Amino acid sequence: MKITGSDVIPFPVTQVWDSLLDPQVLVATIPGCERLETTGEHTYDMTVTAGVAAIKGTYAGSCALSDLVEHESLVMRLQGAGAPGTIDATVQVYFTEPEPGHTRIDYDADAVVGGMVGGVGQRMLTSVSKRMAAEFFGNVGAAIASPSLAVAAPVGAMPPGERSGMPQVYTAPARPGLAPSPDFAKGIAVGAGLVLLGVLAGSLRRRR
Amino acid sequence: MTTKLMGQKVQRVEDQRFLRGQGRYVDDVAVERDLLHAAVLRSPHAHARIVDIDVADVLDVEGVHAVWTYEDLTGPMSEPLPLLIPHPDLTHGRTQYALAKDEVNYVGEAIAFVVADDRYVAEDAVDRIRVRYEPLPPVVGIDAARAADRLVHDDVPGNIGARMEQSVGDAPAAIKAAPHTLTLDLTVERSACTPLEGRGTVARWDPDLNRLQVWTSTQSSTGVRAVVAVKLGLDLGQVDVITPDVGGGFGVKINHPWPEELLVPLAARALGRTVKFTEDRREHFISSAHERGQVHHIEVGFDDDGRLLGLDVEFWHDHGAYTPYGLIVPIITSTQLLGPYKPQNYRVVFESLYTNTVMVTPYRGAGRPQGCYAMERTMDAIASYLGKDRTEVRSVNFIQPDEFPFDQGLIFQDGRELEYDSGDYPASLEKIKALVGWDEFPAFQAEMAAQGRHVGIGLACYVEGTGVGPYEGAHVHIETSGKVKVATGLTTQGQGHQTVFAQLVADELGCSFEDVEVVTGDTRRMPYAVGTFASRAAVMSGSAIHLAAKRAKEKVLKIAADALEAAPEDLEIVDGVVSVKGSPGSSIDLGTVSVLSNPLRYAFDEASKAATQFSVGDPGKPPVPEDEEPGLEGKDFYSPERATFASGMHAVIVETDPETAEIRILKYAVVHDCGHLINPMIVEGQIHGGVAQGVGGALYERMAYDESGQLLNASFMDFLMPYVTEVPDGIDIDHLETPSPLNPLGIKGAGEAGVIPSAAVFAAAIEDAERVGRPEFTVTAMPISPSELFALRQEHS
Repeated sequence: MKITGSDVIPFPVTQVWDSLLDPQVLVATIPGCERLETTGEHTYDMTVTAGVAAIKGTYAGSCALSDLVEHESLVMRLQGAGAPGTIDATVQVYFTEPEPGHTRIDYDADAVVGGMVGGVGQRMLTSVSKRMAAEFFGNVGAAIASPSLAVAAPVGAMPPGERSGMPQVYTAPARPGLAPSPDFAKGIAVGAGLVLLGVLAGSLRRRR
Repeated sequence: MTTKLMGQKVQRVEDQRFLRGQGRYVDDVAVERDLLHAAVLRSPHAHARIVDIDVADVLDVEGVHAVWTYEDLTGPMSEPLPLLIPHPDLTHGRTQYALAKDEVNYVGEAIAFVVADDRYVAEDAVDRIRVRYEPLPPVVGIDAARAADRLVHDDVPGNIGARMEQSVGDAPAAIKAAPHTLTLDLTVERSACTPLEGRGTVARWDPDLNRLQVWTSTQSSTGVRAVVAVKLGLDLGQVDVITPDVGGGFGVKINHPWPEELLVPLAARALGRTVKFTEDRREHFISSAHERGQVHHIEVGFDDDGRLLGLDVEFWHDHGAYTPYGLIVPIITSTQLLGPYKPQNYRVVFESLYTNTVMVTPYRGAGRPQGCYAMERTMDAIASYLGKDRTEVRSVNFIQPDEFPFDQGLIFQDGRELEYDSGDYPASLEKIKALVGWDEFPAFQAEMAAQGRHVGIGLACYVEGTGVGPYEGAHVHIETSGKVKVATGLTTQGQGHQTVFAQLVADELGCSFEDVEVVTGDTRRMPYAVGTFASRAAVMSGSAIHLAAKRAKEKVLKIAADALEAAPEDLEIVDGVVSVKGSPGSSIDLGTVSVLSNPLRYAFDEASKAATQFSVGDPGKPPVPEDEEPGLEGKDFYSPERATFASGMHAVIVETDPETAEIRILKYAVVHDCGHLINPMIVEGQIHGGVAQGVGGALYERMAYDESGQLLNASFMDFLMPYVTEVPDGIDIDHLETPSPLNPLGIKGAGEAGVIPSAAVFAAAIEDAERVGRPEFTVTAMPISPSELFALRQEHS
């Protein structure tokens, strides 16, 4: 299935770009994301709990970013599987600044959704995905606006200098909110795509 | 005097149970407390290699008893499932494994089988199985299959399972020489049977008797029995298969064995516990079977009267991922397409193609709806081209009543000649024209047009080969109580067999209808049988039951003649009492005849005293005469040379909304010829059901696969079926009875007829309505929704 959409975050593209590449931000802003682990440069393993209508469940998956053109575009490849179904998606994400201080994100996802979600929930997937994307971008905006709010911390935190090459695990904070930490290993972009992983959502269940 | 029940609208005896919730389906049997439940892990991918299956997380789940994957299957169970109907032209037939081996080829293919204390635990356990897949590019739809830049099975070039050609005369030459020619390209989408009760199987292994009992929701008990025995390495005599009430089959349950029909018995024997599998709705959509998807290319040559000179048809049949049911559906399309016509020169070629979708097996009508659609659209196109009335063009092409038997020169689905036994198509046409008001319609259409309303009329004719062989059998047993127990081996899915078969027995035997009890689909009662498909139950089992009752009656008369000291030919049986014609005082009831048929040494009640050794028998003769058997029974089989051909015509008047393109049915008329009617009410019920399913197939139902092979509408929330509000309130039915010469009752099948002409008749009527103001408007793809009709209008405006 194809999902296209766009959202506007009321912050400059440099800030938004950095936030979206920051796993600490991501884990706290992706609806239903419980856990994010870096597995290499621009690659993550993650756990997302989401549901479409009555089909709820936890998905384990991976996300890889490629073709990064700073402040302009990137490609996200998502794969996930859980009891309710599977997803395999390629998402093109574009960043533009329609007016100063505002970032417009356009996403264009080509997703294969399988299993029960694919067969039973697909009719609702497009609208659900867009709603989740909007929620996600809203969260990102909120995170940029209130950097003092609780942030996801790496589990068993290590000094930043020792991070490189080592897996880092992030879990969702007790409350939504976060601060960007631009120096973090390039993370994810997400946008629509990540949300797609959780894709599915209808009612999402947040941890804690 | 008992009146003949044949031809009477006898109330269905089944309905008391069904309407009171006392039907007993597979899911209702085996209610013991230690029953175990099964769930199946199914592929989420349309095409993928299985890299690894990890069941480690499953076994320590409390309540899980066992899990099977392909690795656990041994012997015949590890072989592919049977290809039920081989055919020389099916050069690349493929069937799946009970559990996928290395590769999955459609979303829903079974991969692992879990048995647990209840279905909840079983499903939770299924969720814990981790499978690593390597997705492969899927082939979805006929275009992709034909393009063949991707293959479903690596060893099947071009995705072509079979290519078959049949011809009479020289169609291409005749078309070339014809004064007029037309070319049509016609498409029909996929749909499915969707019975309310899905598949289900219960199995119990009896260690004391060393026997397996299987209850399954099937259309062939004996077929399941044979394959269970072979796959589990049991003797046939160790396996009983019982088909209880079935909540609808419509064809899908003739395919067997489903993986679960083998895995449930396997698990029951391995675990020593009764095991049940009940399919849920989503499983039915993605792991049972579909039908109908075909693309047709037709070239036709004809004269000034619209008489067919040559007909050349090529079509492509999407059979899904596997071919367990062989080529039956496309063979039926290719032969039954001819309908009531004689094209003189006919050639048909089809390719049966693999796609990464659920496999295709017969759905009520079984290829005939597509064939009828192809032929009738062609007739409409010829009429339109020549500016003639559509009924005139049909008339000049009809096989005439004095031409029967008429050999079409082709081989039918049963491997026998396509030879029509009887029919009267001109008479049917007159009846349908009168019933629908064909001649008055143009005035009505003009009147409506004046009011800004668009109405159209359509007509479609079909011929249906019914009652195919090889055979069915029946056993009739008159008990000492006078009750008559009848068994036939084929199964029942709601057709009213208990009623119609009892009518036949009561008529032949002279017993009362209420004393007859009919059992179907129980291999313990009748181990030789074929199954319920191809509108064959009344023809095949009805005839067998009639013949078996006749044999029982002969024995009744022989014994009663002895007892009454009269000649058998002087006796008659009325309401269960045998008496000498003209002297009603001299009589004996059937129960007593049954007592006398079984010479006894030991009495057990008042009646049986009469049969003990000091009461009856000629001391000079053996108690059981030579060439006789004790007991009052009759058994016989019916095996016809070939199918008998029912026929009919449907007509419909529709109205299409000029703004919204909504399609409304104003009138639906059916003329139906299934030979002699056993029970007109039941035949009409079959027609009603068929028309309802046809309305669904023509206007609503489709299988919405996306390009990755995911079925997007695998629920009743998304798969549109007609409610009673979408089915015409009144269906006008008229019967024509041209008896079949092929069976003793002169009957033909009626089960599928109602659905056959739907796509054709609705396409014709919608086209007619839309041609008001758009003379070129043509419907070539069915089903058609209001949105599609709206889009078609844009194309034609």
